[in-house]
Amino acid sequence: MTIVIEALQYLGYVLIFPGFLFCFLAGMLLCGIDRKLVAKMQKRVGPPVLQPFYDFFKLCGKETIVPAAAERITFMLSPLVGLAALVVIQLFIPVFGFTAFSGIGDIIVILYLLLVPALAMILGGAASGSPYAGVGLSREMVTIISCELPLVLVLLAVAKTVGSAIGTGLCFSLSEIAEYQLVNGSLITKISMLPAAAAMLLIIPGETGNHPFDAAEAETEICEGMLAEYSGAPLGVFKLSHAVKMLSLTSLFVALFLGGLGTGIMALDALLLFVLCALITAASISFVHAFTARLKIEQIFKYYWTVVSLLALISLVLAWYGL
Amino acid sequence: MFKKLIEESTGKSPWLFHINAGSCNGCDIELVSVLTPRYDAERLGFKLAGSPRHADIVVVTGPVTKQSLPRVLRAISQVPEPRCIVTMGSCPQSGNVFRGSYSVAGPLSKYVDVDVDVAGCAPKPEAIIDGLALAAKILKEKRGRKK
Repeated sequence: MTIVIEALQYLGYVLIFPGFLFCFLAGMLLCGIDRKLVAKMQKRVGPPVLQPFYDFFKLCGKETIVPAAAERITFMLSPLVGLAALVVIQLFIPVFGFTAFSGIGDIIVILYLLLVPALAMILGGAASGSPYAGVGLSREMVTIISCELPLVLVLLAVAKTVGSAIGTGLCFSLSEIAEYQLVNGSLITKISMLPAAAAMLLIIPGETGNHPFDAAEAETEICEGMLAEYSGAPLGVFKLSHAVKMLSLTSLFVALFLGGLGTGIMALDALLLFVLCALITAASISFVHAFTARLKIEQIFKYYWTVVSLLALISLVLAWYGL
Repeated sequence: MFKKLIEESTGKSPWLFHINAGSCNGCDIELVSVLTPRYDAERLGFKLAGSPRHADIVVVTGPVTKQSLPRVLRAISQVPEPRCIVTMGSCPQSGNVFRGSYSVAGPLSKYVDVDVDVAGCAPKPEAIIDGLALAAKILKEKRGRKK
């Protein structure tokens, strides 16, 4: 009997909160808030906040064209693989005190799973057989490599800070990091963590492929790159993945640096998480989008491996000396 | 309920794909002006799509020259159903000052079913938005008629 209840509980985690349904609603709302904010910053009225939902449902009702040159099965399945990986990430990220799944190395699991949506997009683009997708996927690979180094450094800095405080050396468990912050206050209050938090804010738009770092999906020059041949529902799932990726990365930021704000009540915590995610989206995605132009791919690479990596490295060194 | 949701959404999120069929660039600039902060067509959900496969509404400008005709028809056939075709400016509608020229194959309505014509040389941004909003309504009706 207890096994059945436990199984139902885990099914609830996967399907409702913090799994699929929460990801769908919160991610799409974040995307809508982002579009509205950018419009406001450019003195426009902007689309309604629910616009991403309209886009998604419209795409579900459109005809799906599979090009003659495409590898049909890979072409149709890769959007689903990407979305599934993102939902799994959301299960591992703690909502303040509460974690659906936890382990001793979930930071490393998240690091690997964050690559899967980008790889799914690369696979889908390559399977579509379009030359635009070819250009797009080579750029996407460079973007992944650019973001990966600073992201690893940021995670190491956080792991070292918490690890040396609780005496295990390096702590790669997000639930332990969350517990530590609930007791000792948020990590962002530490001086050594400020550069890492800044670096993480700069990594978020690069990982999601948002505006100044969207050379891989440049719609004006390479027809949206890897998505050039997609239409109908698979395109909608890719757009949904993009929205959920925004949610995953911002909630990872909350889990790493703002974990001490939890109230202990589940519903309130979920609401607080969403509000914090929206604030971080406004600061790191919308604001940057509104006043920058698209960077070239080599500029993206250089920027991440110098400025952002340096910020994360400073944080790591400070954490090593226990500041 | 799901069907109704899709039908409602179809009218609210029309993505545009723009084809230049030998236009003088006047209408092309006017189309871009519709998306600027002054007129802001994005408030109605309009968005310029990069690829014809993402589009719902095809906007054709220019008198459809013999060179561009096969390419225009091929690009239009890549747009997934339900789709709308809008001609912008007087050129694709009647040939305008280029009517009767040896190199012009238009008007466009000889080759495909055109849903909305926006006349003018070049049309005002208000007229373009009006025409596009009408196209979005037609799009919704087309979706509703299906099945």
